[in-house]
Amino acid sequence: MEHIIVIGGGGAGAALAHDLTLRGFEVSLFEKGDLLSGTTGRHHGLLHSGARYAVHDRAAAVECVEENNILRRIAPQALEQNDGLFVAISPDDEAYGKTLLDACLASGIEAKKLSATQARKLEPALTPEVRVALQVPDATIDAWRLAMHFFATARQNGARLHPFCEVQWIDTRAGRVTGVEILNYKTRKTSIVKGDLVVNAAGAWAGRVAALAGINVPVQPGPGVLVAVEGRVTNMVINRMRPAGEGDIIVPQRGLSVLGTSLWLTDDPDDVTLPKKHITRIIENCSLMVPAVGGAPVRSVWSAARPLIRDAEASSPQQISRTFECYDHKDTHGVEGIVSLLGGKATTVRAMAEKTADLICRKTGHKIACRTRTTPLLSWRRFYAVGAEDGP
Amino acid sequence: MKKKIRLKIRRHRPESKTPPSFETFTLTIDADISILDALEMIQSAQEPTLMFRRSCHHSSCGTCGMLINGEERLACVTRISQFKGGTITLEPLPGFPLLGDLAVDMAPLYKDIDERWNYLRGAEDLGGKKLPEGIKRFERFENCIECGCCVSACPVAGEGKPFMGPAALAALNTELQKTTGKGARALLKQAGGERGERLCNRALACSRVCPTAVYPARHILDLRTRLRGDGQGP
Ligand SMILES: Cc1cc2nc3c(=O)[nH]c(=O)nc-3n(C[C@H](O)[C@H](O)[C@H](O)COP(=O)(O)OP(=O)(O)OC[C@H]3O[C@@H](n4cnc5c(N)ncnc54)[C@H](O)[C@@H]3O)c2cc1C
Ligand code: SF4
Ligand code: SF4
Ligand code: FES
Repeated sequence: MEHIIVIGGGGAGAALAHDLTLRGFEVSLFEKGDLLSGTTGRHHGLLHSGARYAVHDRAAAVECVEENNILRRIAPQALEQNDGLFVAISPDDEAYGKTLLDACLASGIEAKKLSATQARKLEPALTPEVRVALQVPDATIDAWRLAMHFFATARQNGARLHPFCEVQWIDTRAGRVTGVEILNYKTRKTSIVKGDLVVNAAGAWAGRVAALAGINVPVQPGPGVLVAVEGRVTNMVINRMRPAGEGDIIVPQRGLSVLGTSLWLTDDPDDVTLPKKHITRIIENCSLMVPAVGGAPVRSVWSAARPLIRDAEASSPQQISRTFECYDHKDTHGVEGIVSLLGGKATTVRAMAEKTADLICRKTGHKIACRTRTTPLLSWRRFYAVGAEDGP
Repeated sequence: MKKKIRLKIRRHRPESKTPPSFETFTLTIDADISILDALEMIQSAQEPTLMFRRSCHHSSCGTCGMLINGEERLACVTRISQFKGGTITLEPLPGFPLLGDLAVDMAPLYKDIDERWNYLRGAEDLGGKKLPEGIKRFERFENCIECGCCVSACPVAGEGKPFMGPAALAALNTELQKTTGKGARALLKQAGGERGERLCNRALACSRVCPTAVYPARHILDLRTRLRGDGQGP
């Protein structure tokens, strides 16, 4: 069958390699660093229930809740399934809670209202200031292991995965895309790889990759800072009951609590600065919900860039939708043979892959149904059992 | 506070003919950044093809293990400020096949870690009086992030003996605690086999370097005690 070249070894590329191999395509994936060295792996590790988006971004909320249910079934070993709480600690929060509950129910998210006493019985580390809470089906993701489940399964099914291989040029000389030029860091050699279709799944770097084919895509890198503190102080994910903002979430994971996050917009996806003000504000805001995280030793501080889709109409960066889009550049730029997959969340990579593989099927004239909703993923450990290096 | 530092990095591509050498990179940094942040700065400003592994940046994926001034550590949670002097030496983890520069192939680590071993366990008691509706018990991932630091530091594994190694034995004992009956007997048999617990000489290097407090040597001692009790010990 057709040979599909995937550029980018993040969660989106991983899920796409899995979907395409299941449908019988030949797949080669190229990643400039090691697999998952981009944004995937660095996120909070929240398996979104969708509640965070229910009020202002209904489409993203619905995608999240659907994918949340699917991932629980196909990759349970990559999740701590302990649910989450939205907690109100001010009268404004409490007022927002009513809107939030309605929006959750309208999006198909099973949200339950809890009194302050009930919430603190579940999570005694919550501040005594809690006024009300909502229980939602959030969970914690092991970000690297979830995505490695997709890679392991894809590799088992024959996908050729090439870490440390950067795509430096996309060949459009024939009036359509016919392949890519790779720089292999391991040999320091370049080579041309031919393919029937190229997918740009380069996340926050997708603008740079599309430019290699002379195409301009509306990706907007949106970095944020994350802080991991020592100690697991809650088992449930704790969210602030208010519109999305800075320092509104605590995700427990192993013996750590991951506090997030902030958001600014930049043109440089490699902008890994760590603004001190953000760190302080995140810790301060999170400790309003769970005081114990305030004094805990900091294990690590880092940042990562979201692959947002540019939106001139959004009133603030927080309002930019977290849905995804896949673009056939034949339609957008008259260039045949290349597709870009933009936006999304770690929670929704399977759906992103499904939509893209559907498009690829339409373009190549195949009628093959998607099977990733029900196919259990193989363990990340299988990745290493499948074999050493993947041939060209 | 800006500070000037030098990272002396071992460079080698097994697939190319150039012999291994050290290359020194100089950079001006905020003193409290991590080794991993510094490597990323080098990669984006000086040497894009520098090879190293990383993903989570907070000690949960286990990909960034390396020798930092001769000791197995995670680059992401090792701060530069803790080192005196201006030069820090970075080398790949010994004991694993080299992919290039600081990146190694972790396949040998997984050889004796069965993919079916459960990565989840009951979470610690945080004093909650009730469980949320629909949740039977609070769960969490195991502490071992499969970084390979312990295997790299273990003198026995380093001698090239066919030893399962501390990570696999710790994972095995962790699984044993969740298993009964036939399954448990099979695990004990594996631990007591030729490549198992008997090769460990209690050097404790594994527990010393483990970045996530798994204490593999304790797991090995546990296995040893249990094997002796079962009459299968050495
Ligand atoms: C601060 C923050 C917190 C977040 N929290 C959450 C959360 O809790 N839950 C959630 O669901 N989502 C979260 N997200 C969103 C989620 O992390 C991302 O949407 C997702 O990881 C993106 O995956 P991706 O595969 O599209 O991109 P990436 O993982 O970035 O993959 C793209 C890859 O392409 C590679 N690449 C680039 N150029 C080239 C080239 N020329 N050749 C070869 N390879 C190339 C890059 O190295 C990179 O690895 C968060 C994001 C941020 C920034
Ligand atoms: S205690 Fe055993 S396993 Fe651990 S480093 Fe020493 S010899 Fe190796
Ligand atoms: S036991 Fe510790 S050092 Fe060994 S692989 Fe696991 S986390 Fe790493
Ligand atoms: S980058 Fe994940 S453990 Fe260091």
